[in-house]
Amino acid sequence: MSLSKEEAASPTPQAELLYQAQQNKELRFRTNVALSWLFLLLFLVFIFSGQQISIGDWTFSTIKIDRTFISENLLFIAGGLGETIRISILSIIVATILALLAALGRLSTVPPVYALSTFYVSLIRGTPLYLQIFFFFLALPQLGIFLSGTVAGVLALGLNYGAYMSEIFRAGLSSVGKGQREAAMAIGMTPSQTMRRIVLPQALRFAIPPTGNEFIAMTKDSALVAATGFVHELMWRATKVGRATFHNLEGLLMAAIFYWVMTLILTSIQSRIETRLAKGDR
Amino acid sequence: MAPIVKVSNLDKYFGRLHVLKNVSLEVSEQEVVCLIGRSGSGKSTLLRCMNFLEEPSDGSIELDGIKIEASSKGKIHRQMIHEVRLKTGMVFQEFNLFPHMSVLENVMEGPVIVKGMDQQTAMELAEKSLDSVGMLFKKDEYPARLSGGQKQRVAIARALTMEPKVMLFDEPTSALDPELIGEVLNVMKKVAKEGMTMIVVTHEMAFAREVADRVLVMSEGEMIEDSPPEELFKNPKDARTKALIERYRSGEQ
Repeated sequence: MSLSKEEAASPTPQAELLYQAQQNKELRFRTNVALSWLFLLLFLVFIFSGQQISIGDWTFSTIKIDRTFISENLLFIAGGLGETIRISILSIIVATILALLAALGRLSTVPPVYALSTFYVSLIRGTPLYLQIFFFFLALPQLGIFLSGTVAGVLALGLNYGAYMSEIFRAGLSSVGKGQREAAMAIGMTPSQTMRRIVLPQALRFAIPPTGNEFIAMTKDSALVAATGFVHELMWRATKVGRATFHNLEGLLMAAIFYWVMTLILTSIQSRIETRLAKGDR
Repeated sequence: MAPIVKVSNLDKYFGRLHVLKNVSLEVSEQEVVCLIGRSGSGKSTLLRCMNFLEEPSDGSIELDGIKIEASSKGKIHRQMIHEVRLKTGMVFQEFNLFPHMSVLENVMEGPVIVKGMDQQTAMELAEKSLDSVGMLFKKDEYPARLSGGQKQRVAIARALTMEPKVMLFDEPTSALDPELIGEVLNVMKKVAKEGMTMIVVTHEMAFAREVADRVLVMSEGEMIEDSPPEELFKNPKDARTKALIERYRSGEQ
């Protein structure tokens, strides 16, 4: 440290000016982005305002929404939020466990284990989630297994996401170098101790941000479970509420807002977790 | 003195590549042996066979009374390998510290998890080891905040805390910036002085000359020389050894 304290504390004016210029540029950019968002949002509101605009011969009508219907049924729809969140959390837990097992299987050198893992991932990724959900409701009872709508939905979602997320965990496990395993074995750790104490903690740390993304996607894909008619989450309520009175659009609009706000909140939590993980990045 | 390490007729193949050819060697207790040779000569593989990070293809290894035949398999074989690993400490070229653990946790991991020692005793032991390599002042840091030389010193402490009979060093200074090599070599000299049996794969000729009791030279999977350092450096028997030493000499200038 040859630099004296005063020199370090007061940077040259030129550096200061450059720094300020950059800060100003960034602030201007952010302000403009925020204003544009506001404009787009207002435009969206305008689309649903029910206005008719005539310019000469040409008229443009926007979508009519029954506001009293919305205010009357808002609470009913909101009542599905809890179920949506519950399904999403349970499903991501199931998915995480399956993904980890599938990833370990994929890295296994035992042929049947490797085969089981790749078969599962291939089957699930090769068919639509929507179809899988129906399959669970329709096929399991024939096997004599009767599950509640929520449980079957969670299983279907968990199984599906588990297949996709196995790639994340595989990448996480592969990110832990061979040297780590060797160092653990050299001090006498057994393979299971090595996995538990050395490999998994590092792999999971790697997998946290992408798992967050999957969870955010999951909250919206949980809507597909509504199709079976047995799980009264957001989407089910949204489609049910206005059907009799031809207020379909109002229900969907309300659900859309709930989903969007939920995603915005989750995304901000996610980016906070990512910043914290990046800070502790070693 | 009876040898503490005895490698007999060891062969190792990687597929069709014959990397160790009928290698035998003995190391006595408290002896420091340096293993030199060009890269690809099999010296690291030989070292890694000694704690079975590489499984030898043929021959046997005896370490502190535990004799393992390369041909054996099964549960008892695995148990014996485990015991050999408990008796050996290894230091790697790339340090291989656990990045998700603090320096202290890195050193405590073996005693607590492998030996089942209680936290308090393990901590005292770990702090003592860290102190002996001059790294106690960084015990709460994570490995990423350390220099290469500091990492390697912690790695040495991690191995020493398991109280091994033999320390295996696999090119411990090859990944270091030149100015950091000295601190690691000094720690290794200290460990040697304290009477540890050491087998060191290295390119550091000065270290070999100063610290080693014997220098073994490998070339293309064969052990071509086994002599005390002063003899080896003064009049190498094998032409290949001569060439190797010349190369190092010119590098040192």
